[in-house]
This record gives sequence, structure tokens and C-alpha cells, in this order.
Amino acid sequence: MALPNQQTVEYPSFKLVIVGDGGTGKTTFVKRHLTGEFEKKYEPTIGVEVHPLDFHTNCGKIRFYCWDTAGQEKFGGLRDGYYIHGQCAIIMFDVTARLTYKNVPTWHRDLCRVCENIPIVLCGNKVDVKNRQVKAKMVTFHRKKNLQYYEISAKSNYNFEKPFLYLARKLAGDMNLHFVESPALAPPEVQIDLAAQQQYEQEIAAAAAQPLPDDDDDAFD
Amino acid sequence: MASNEPEKSVREEEGTAAAAAGEEEDTGAEFAPIVRLEEVAVTTGEEDEDALIDLKAKLYRYDKDGNQWKERGTGTVKLLKHKETGKVRLVMRQNKTLKICANHLVTAATKMQEHVGNEKSCVWHATDFSDGELKDEMFCIRFASIENCKTFKEKVEEIAESVRRSDATEENKEASDTAGLLDQLTVSETTTVATPSKEAESKGDTSSA
Repeated sequence: MALPNQQTVEYPSFKLVIVGDGGTGKTTFVKRHLTGEFEKKYEPTIGVEVHPLDFHTNCGKIRFYCWDTAGQEKFGGLRDGYYIHGQCAIIMFDVTARLTYKNVPTWHRDLCRVCENIPIVLCGNKVDVKNRQVKAKMVTFHRKKNLQYYEISAKSNYNFEKPFLYLARKLAGDMNLHFVESPALAPPEVQIDLAAQQQYEQEIAAAAAQPLPDDDDDAFD
Repeated sequence: MASNEPEKSVREEEGTAAAAAGEEEDTGAEFAPIVRLEEVAVTTGEEDEDALIDLKAKLYRYDKDGNQWKERGTGTVKLLKHKETGKVRLVMRQNKTLKICANHLVTAATKMQEHVGNEKSCVWHATDFSDGELKDEMFCIRFASIENCKTFKEKVEEIAESVRRSDATEENKEASDTAGLLDQLTVSETTTVATPSKEAESKGDTSSA
């Protein structure tokens, strides 16, 4: 579902609604997928932000229009209006904040009032944090309601692709669907003049002195 | 992923298997599919290239507005040499989603610089084509080891150097070709002495009109 001011695409696209309490990491999770960055600063989302997110699969390219909604009550805005025509959803909670899990049934009820019988993924985010309050065995809500559950970490990328993969499989009714390499197009030749070249070298020298955001963390593979 | 190992072992101590967390288990919820998709042929775009290097790494891009490095992706970086043209490009893909986070040619102007605070990292400028449009980017790449960083850096520098050499050869060739053309030009000028002055006259007429 595209917004009126958004270009439509010739490949399958789906409206994905992302809900959950404020500060559980909905925006950070979406941003992580969009640009690769991990945003540490918390700036509450006002109303809703819609981001197109493309994936290449063995069944072609698909797009999720991610409706990243405000979790904080006071910034909530339209609520039901955001859910309308939702074709799939993610409900996010924070495993380090018990209350965000306690509120999951409310988010689920509100969502299902507008969107009947759509595939929904429950995500327990921030599992990289050592002192979690919501242990895996305490998470039971999804079983009663037939939701898929994933423990994720937007910080470490643990399971970060799983929610989208699950939803894509359900929307297409094909459990063998999987992500494939997006085609790496041949980059065109570019001429860089001497002046630009010198400017880049200065910029590089300055950038090389700036610390990396996660220098302390060597755990990647 | 290493950072999640402690969490897993904690869970095992508690006597709860991954299944209890419902992690991989499909609840079997049934939905009517809303699209029907046919399997398609997958093209990586790398079919006509050989990988000179294939290493795990983490990539950052420099955010000039915020004056900071931002993560771009964690995955595999490759240097790919085209089987016919011999051109080499750098392609990096994100783990799991296999999306492209860097895609640019290694050119004569490509220069690698060490990152000041991290000896497993190096920094460079590129005109990147990841999104299908050319963008000026500053990249920093971090490897799991100093050796891997060294291997990568030296390989890129070696390729850039060989591009510089072949560019220089081509320039020499072009220069000698031009010199040859100039010789011919001189010869033809002497044979058609009268013509240029006529042209000059008519040009003068046009400009005054």
C-alpha cells in the first residue's frame, strides 16, 4: 500500500504495520534495515513514518511499506487510521523492560480490531543486553494468538532478517521463499578532477581520525 | 553470532530449550496468501567476475552532516575482477539479506588510508553505485584481524597502482597518436594555403551581420 505521494512499484508490495511501546526499538530496527546504521539516540516517533524496504527473493523483488508508528501514547495521533489496510504486522517489545511485554496484548487487540487475520510477528528486542527482565520462557502470548515469535537484537543483528522473511513467506504462501543476492550492477566509470581529488584526500584525513561507533565491540562475523 | 552466545547458555542453564522460546517454531498459523509468486532466475551481477579477495568485514560510511562514522553493513567484502575487461570493483553485501552496501570500481585515484584509532580498519573515498546511482562516499572497513586488513589494503593498492600504470601507458599512446595527427595536419595545411583566409573572411561577415 503506497501513500498517494509515494511512487508505486511494478513488483509486489505490502503494507507492514509496526507497533509496540515507545522505546522498544521500532525505529532503530527499521533504520538498521534501511541504511545499516544503528541509532543509539532515542527520539520518539511522532505519528507515523512510512519507509519502503525492498528485499530480493528467489521469487523476485518485493517491497514492504513499513509504517513505523509512535509507541508513546502522547505522540500516537491517528492510531486506527494507521492500521487500515495493513497486510502484515510486527509487534515489538523490549526484553529489558517488563511493562513493554505486559502491553503486548493491548497492541495486539487494537491491531486486530482493524486488521483481521493478517500474519503477525512478535519481536522481543534487545536480547544482546545482559540483564534482561523478560526471559524467553516467560514469553507465551504468541502461542495463544498464533503469532510467530522471534528474539531479536537490532544492535547485534541477531535474527534481524527473520521477521521479514516470515512475513514474506506467509504473504506469498511459500515456505521455501528465501532471500537471494540483489544484482550488483556494473558501476559506470567516473572522472575525478585534481581539485576534487585533493578535497577528498583532506576529508579522508579528517574522517580517519574520527572514532568508529562500536570500536569496543569485536564480535561480528 | 558470538554476542548472543552468553544468552543462549543462560537459557540452557535454566533448562529451557530454544523451542520453549518459540524461536524457530512456526505456530502454524494459516493465512490466505495475498500474492502468488513464481520462482525466478537469480542473477548476482557477479557472473563474469573472479573474486580476488573474499573477507568478512564491517563497513561504515561517513556522515558529513553529523561528522561521524555510521554503520553501513556487516558481511562479506569482495574484490571482483572482470574476466574480459580486467576491471576490478569492490562489492560488499550484508549478511542474511544479501543486500549491497558497497559497489564501486577500484580506480587510479583509489587511495587507502589507515584509521587513526583502529589498526584493523582502513578508510577511503569512492564514487559508490550501491543504490544504482553514483554517490560520493567515504568508507571505513573493519576486519576481524590486523592481517586481514593488511591483505585487503595491499591488494587494493596493488590494483590501483596497476590501473595508474595502464592509464599512463594509454596516455603515452594517445600522446604519440596526437603527435602523428599533428604532423599530418601540418602537411595538409601547406597544401591548402588559400582556403583558411577565405574562411576567415566569411566568418568575419557572419559576425558583423
